[in-house]
Amino acid sequence: MRIVVPVKSVPDLVEEIELTADETGIDREYLTFVLSEWDAQALEEALLLKDAGGAQVVAVGLADDPEIDQILYTALAKGADAAVKIADASVAGLSGPRVIRTADRAALLAGYLADQPADLVVTGVQAADDLDGQLPATLAALLDLPHVSVAVSVVAAGGSVTVRQEFAAGRSHELQVQLPAVIGVQSARQAPRYAPITRIRQAQQAGGLTEVAVSPRAAGAGLVVRRMHRPEAGGHAEMLTGSAGNVADQIVGLLRARGLVKG
Amino acid sequence: MTGPFSLIATDVTRPVFEGIGPVGRAIFYAVAAVSTVVFVWGVWLRVRKYRMGRAAQRWPTIRAALGSRLRTVGSGASVAKGNFATGVAHFLIFWGFTVAFLATVILTIDTDVVRKASRLIVGHQDSFFHGTFFIVFTFVVDTMGFAFLLALIYMAVRRGVRKPWPLGYGRADVPAGGYSRKRLVEGDWLFLGLLIVILVTAYLLTGLRILGQHMVWFTVFSPFGRAVAEVLSGLGMTPAQAVTVHGVVWWVHAALALSFVAYIPYSKAMHMPVDAVNLLATDRSATLSLPAPAAGHPGYQEISDFTWKELLDLDACTKCGRCHEVCPARTAGAPLSPRDLILDLRQWVDTSTGGITLLDREQRPGRTGPLAEGKGVRIAGDVIEAATLWSCTTCMHCVDVCPVGIEHVPTIVQLRRSLVDEGTMDSTLQQALQNLATQGNSFGKSARMRARWTRELDFEIPDARKQPVKYLWFVGDFASFDERLQESSRILARILRDAGVDFGLLYEAERNAGNDVRRTGEEGLFEMLAEHNIEVLRGAQFEEIFTTDPHTLNALRNEYPRLGASYKVWHYTELLAQLLENGEIDVRPLGYRVTFHDPCYLARYNGVLDAPRRILRALGCELVEMPRHGADTFCCGAGGGRIWMDDGFLTERPSESRITEALQLDVGQFVVACPKDVTMFFDAAKTTRADDRLAVRDITLLIDEAMTRPAEPGMAGEPTV
Repeated sequence: MRIVVPVKSVPDLVEEIELTADETGIDREYLTFVLSEWDAQALEEALLLKDAGGAQVVAVGLADDPEIDQILYTALAKGADAAVKIADASVAGLSGPRVIRTADRAALLAGYLADQPADLVVTGVQAADDLDGQLPATLAALLDLPHVSVAVSVVAAGGSVTVRQEFAAGRSHELQVQLPAVIGVQSARQAPRYAPITRIRQAQQAGGLTEVAVSPRAAGAGLVVRRMHRPEAGGHAEMLTGSAGNVADQIVGLLRARGLVKG
Repeated sequence: MTGPFSLIATDVTRPVFEGIGPVGRAIFYAVAAVSTVVFVWGVWLRVRKYRMGRAAQRWPTIRAALGSRLRTVGSGASVAKGNFATGVAHFLIFWGFTVAFLATVILTIDTDVVRKASRLIVGHQDSFFHGTFFIVFTFVVDTMGFAFLLALIYMAVRRGVRKPWPLGYGRADVPAGGYSRKRLVEGDWLFLGLLIVILVTAYLLTGLRILGQHMVWFTVFSPFGRAVAEVLSGLGMTPAQAVTVHGVVWWVHAALALSFVAYIPYSKAMHMPVDAVNLLATDRSATLSLPAPAAGHPGYQEISDFTWKELLDLDACTKCGRCHEVCPARTAGAPLSPRDLILDLRQWVDTSTGGITLLDREQRPGRTGPLAEGKGVRIAGDVIEAATLWSCTTCMHCVDVCPVGIEHVPTIVQLRRSLVDEGTMDSTLQQALQNLATQGNSFGKSARMRARWTRELDFEIPDARKQPVKYLWFVGDFASFDERLQESSRILARILRDAGVDFGLLYEAERNAGNDVRRTGEEGLFEMLAEHNIEVLRGAQFEEIFTTDPHTLNALRNEYPRLGASYKVWHYTELLAQLLENGEIDVRPLGYRVTFHDPCYLARYNGVLDAPRRILRALGCELVEMPRHGADTFCCGAGGGRIWMDDGFLTERPSESRITEALQLDVGQFVVACPKDVTMFFDAAKTTRADDRLAVRDITLLIDEAMTRPAEPGMAGEPTV
């Protein structure tokens, strides 16, 4: 079974994220980029499928994503069999990372998957910049494949997979999905494994990244970001200020006043 | 013949084979040959095992140690250090055995070389075993032998009657299904008992011979042997009877002595040669600056990954239990005891390599831990459980108290490298390591925020990347990012500014120095952090470095030079002590009664004991020492990456045990000199409900309080934590 895991980088949210001068994007100059946490879950689930019995796991990223080399080498260090970097053949010649909309991302991935079909595509159900989880669904639509999102377990069962899908309040149900299929993973069956730096460095030295130029499968919808907004404090939030000790005292006072703690 | 005894001792001697005929002699030599073969085979089994190990680069250590370390071996100083009475007894046993051994060698040379060779060469039998030599020999052997016997009896009484608890050999962790270390106890008694019986029969033999010789005058030079003869005679034994009994006892003694020779390499007796070598080869600096991983793959997967020194360490253990007693993990109820670790590895390595051991092995119903066998057994994970390896705080107390030079910590880290490689770790540790990989700090905060604590200062600290400074302050993660500690960092900055110290920072270019990262076994991450820091240090302009954190100090002082970056590195207490004594900082006496907690990485690792005490003296504080202080300090529990792991399973956190210790002293303040200590002990004082009686304070805050600044005279603040 060939499992393709599309992965992407997102800004590390511990950074102070600033908007660009025209307020249509975020200032990416000093940001640290890390693997999207849901993609880390998807990769783990794919590796668990491999551990359970002989799948080939291919991590796939877009060449235009910042830090994508590092992320793909990390995937190799964790046990992926191959890592592929996709360049957009239609914009060849452009250099440097650029912001890619989810629709364009899905189009590129679909282009790659049309050339190199997969039995199973697992990717993060959402990302910090794709909170409504469009990628897996769009990708499935472009490839005309069955699709399940918010998966919390994917287990191989012959020519199909058994997927557990989570609903509100911890309810879930199991689906039998015919392969090939696209699965959006909410969380893996176990916490994503650790990739020791030594192994990542070994992967880098071995240079196992394959680069392919791909034509997008279909043009993305023509949405344009008009303006981005800074986080706004909601009307009900009370900001506590002062030293750490002072703030702690205020919190204790509040908890007591509301009867949440005694004494 | 000349010398003091020449007049009286012209031709005194004794036959070695007194009353033993040619057949008897032949039997004796045959048995001796068998015993020698068994001995040599046993030694070969051991040597074969050590030869499986990697090179350890310890020959220079051994050469350098030959002077001083041989003295340690001969004086037994390392044994006496922890327990004086045992040390004296061991000293007597050591030299008693050595004398007995040399005496045997001398007799063998005389009997089997000199006499036989002289008969062949000069035609008549010559010997040096008579006259003055015989008298001196007899006296030395008789008196030393008796001291040897008394010391053995003392050890037997200690073991059998006083029963020190570590010699019960209870494990720190009880494996599922239980275990028995009965055979370890039996093995010890066999060793001790054999020696006692051999000595008792030796004196009986001497007494019988002296009585048989009708108490000939020169036997006064065997005072204890002669005393035995007097007793036998007093009991009514005649010289003739003595000669008869002698013939029997001679064989008993000979059989025991030859058995002992054969027994040595299969038992605790092997500690005699092994520990002498181990003490010569031991190298403390291998714990300060850890060894590189075995080439080829990280961690230890097979016996050949161990160095020969590490394999020798395993056999060197005499089970004395000193490490077991002091280990903060064991004390806290964690599954780690350094002694268990060494004994488990020893048993597993020995059985896996076809070693033969009499008794001295742990028994279990299942094939777990040291009894694990078969293909695919993981040394880190099966032989030694992951939880055991993760319990170590790398405080180095075990290494320092070990009387025979075992280096537990480097072995533990090597095994942790296997765990890291397969990703077996606490989720909190994994998170910390990932944070360190992406942002260079364990807090997971943006690397750009590292110097944000300086913003609240009313002056700017120079950026050592842009302008030359005398001192570079390597601040460290905790002092930079922990909100409870940032105020202490600002206070230290103000003190140094006011004292006119020329210092600067690396600002956001600084990364965690990697000391504790290295000790978790994440070697690649350590390399990455160190490479980054070294590159930044090379681009900065400074003369010397000082650190807030003793762990950082250790990395910069002991680990970075191996990577080609050698700097003069101070701890901030060393700098402050000097400023106080030079009068650069003006203070009024505080008059507090305080105790001081020595950080492991400052006191034990780097020998910085005086600086904090000099500061307290300059501040007019009365220092009341805790029982465990200085280089014998007790770990707070945070070292070796433990600060990033869950400690909820411990019965009593080391930091809580430490606060309880301080509470006995009737002091108001618990002074520390390490940022991690502030957080550890502040929490421990709270959980032990001692925070109303005992304030945990960084030594910086005391100086600040005592400083009389022109602009802001008097008190500069309450403890901020």
